[in-house]
Amino acid sequence: MALINLPAFADALLADFESLGTLRVDTPVIQPAEPFLAMAGEDLRRRIFMTESETGESLCLRPEFTIPVCLRHIEAVTGTPKRYAYLGEVFRQRREGGNEFYQAGIEDLGDTDTATADARAVSDAMRIVANRLPGRPLAVTLGDQAVFEAVVGACGLPAGWQKRLIHAFGDQKHLQKLLTELAHPRTVGVFGPEVVRLSMDGLLEDEDRLVAHVAATMEATGYSTNASRSPEDIARRLKEKMELANTRLDRKTLDHVAAFLALDVPLADAPAALFAFAQKSGLKLDDALTRFDARVAALAKTGADIGAIRYRSAFGRPLDYYTGLVFEVELAGTHAVLAGGGRFDRLLTLLGAREHIPAVGFSLWLDRIEKAIASEGGAQ
Amino acid sequence: MTITIALPSKGRMKDDASAIFERAGLKIVAVGNDRSYRGRVEGADDVEIAFLSASEISRELGNGSIDFGVTGEDLVREGLANADARVEFCARLGFGHADVVVAVPEVWYDVDTMADLGDVAADFRARHGRRLAIATKYWRLTQNHFSGSHGIQLYRIVESLGATEGAPASGSADIIVDITSTGSTLKANHLKILTDGVILRSEACLVRARKAAHDGDPVVARIIAAIRGVV
Repeated sequence: MALINLPAFADALLADFESLGTLRVDTPVIQPAEPFLAMAGEDLRRRIFMTESETGESLCLRPEFTIPVCLRHIEAVTGTPKRYAYLGEVFRQRREGGNEFYQAGIEDLGDTDTATADARAVSDAMRIVANRLPGRPLAVTLGDQAVFEAVVGACGLPAGWQKRLIHAFGDQKHLQKLLTELAHPRTVGVFGPEVVRLSMDGLLEDEDRLVAHVAATMEATGYSTNASRSPEDIARRLKEKMELANTRLDRKTLDHVAAFLALDVPLADAPAALFAFAQKSGLKLDDALTRFDARVAALAKTGADIGAIRYRSAFGRPLDYYTGLVFEVELAGTHAVLAGGGRFDRLLTLLGAREHIPAVGFSLWLDRIEKAIASEGGAQ
Repeated sequence: MTITIALPSKGRMKDDASAIFERAGLKIVAVGNDRSYRGRVEGADDVEIAFLSASEISRELGNGSIDFGVTGEDLVREGLANADARVEFCARLGFGHADVVVAVPEVWYDVDTMADLGDVAADFRARHGRRLAIATKYWRLTQNHFSGSHGIQLYRIVESLGATEGAPASGSADIIVDITSTGSTLKANHLKILTDGVILRSEACLVRARKAAHDGDPVVARIIAAIRGVV
């Protein structure tokens, strides 16, 4: 039976949050399900506990805190940067462990000094975990979606392919499949018979006529031109797809991407390794690398143990609101993630914020931390 | 031990299943009148027949409350998580053919593959302020196909319990995942199947609930052998 009371170290954790200068917030346990499903995708549906209100609104037991905390920040329209801390129960079906467990974390919303905010998130997470597990060596993995985006951008691929690759970042299997397709383009670019006809009618060279044709077809077949994809959307992507089909990634570029994705070095060595990669490949990555280096420098200033952090270039999350930093904290020699976080600059806009609000944060898996503490006791 | 076999309780499925069992030397007779929901196999006192609806059969197989069932593979794979670990598909019976497919409006000239759909789904929200909406009653099969096989996460399922193929034209969803046998309903609604959009080629199957008690049971082995012998 899983423990469902507050972990014994809850008070010490809250004291840490306070000393880090965060604002403690709480949110209702019962939440509208829509924002979670819209942000995280359908896969989440199987793992959250859903119910309905009397009026048919989909509700769920809070599966995590980030979205409710962000929604609250947007509603408060403070406009000023805020660092929120939370500690409470979340409800999710997991392969291992119970379905209800405590989670805590910090969300740092609105700070435009991203290097400093990133560094603070990593070092705060490390410090809090280290405080619970004194003397136990940590292993931190760090990745950066923005560097990958820069590599893909510098390879000179058409926009459609860039989007595909960036979207697959963090999903190793899918990314590999796409790269293989890029190298052997016979598997891409399936066009239906309708497109051949359009081409013979000369519609593919004339975007305005193509749009008009799509609109007329929609009307003739009873489809609305504005309920779903518009004629302009379809015409534009058809053009993009023709570009995609005609693109082949040459051996050299493919090797560059592969070499990049294989990088796995101590963080302290990462700026030099990335610089060497940029030089060798001839890819122009200056902006992304400058930001990467600034984050490493900011991290060094926080006093965090940089030696415990490795940079893994392929490490990312395949969700469209993650934009830069991602990281995970484990005990060295284990594979249980005790804390994980990253930068999600797109999330608040997706949730309805009018202006761009940069965001970075992390959450702590308290039941796993508790287990790690217990395993220490057992070993002694 | 008495072995319980569940057969579809009505329609073509019931007739086709009974015919196959009869050919296999397992003639089914209803207990009581013709409309009864119980039956037995002539000359086999250790076999019991239950007539259930096709979707009940898949559920009861999952519960293990019946030993065998004749039902569509689509219903079993949709109804049960880890279907292959919980049931065995013993024989494909050659009737009740239906493909579970991903279909999009014909006018989406730029979309012919799942990869195309992935591209569209990826920036759908940025363009339309909402996720790509899929109308279906096949939640599990859709999720496995989209996320599991094609790395597409960003979509929403809109539950549809009937006339799914009308959802894109009516605007209640963008695309559908549904069953089709001839494709004529899709065509009538100006929908096309993606080239790699066939999720499952389903047909009626003899399905066994995996139970330890079945090991070495001669009746179980005999039923499987008899049905396999005629399909």
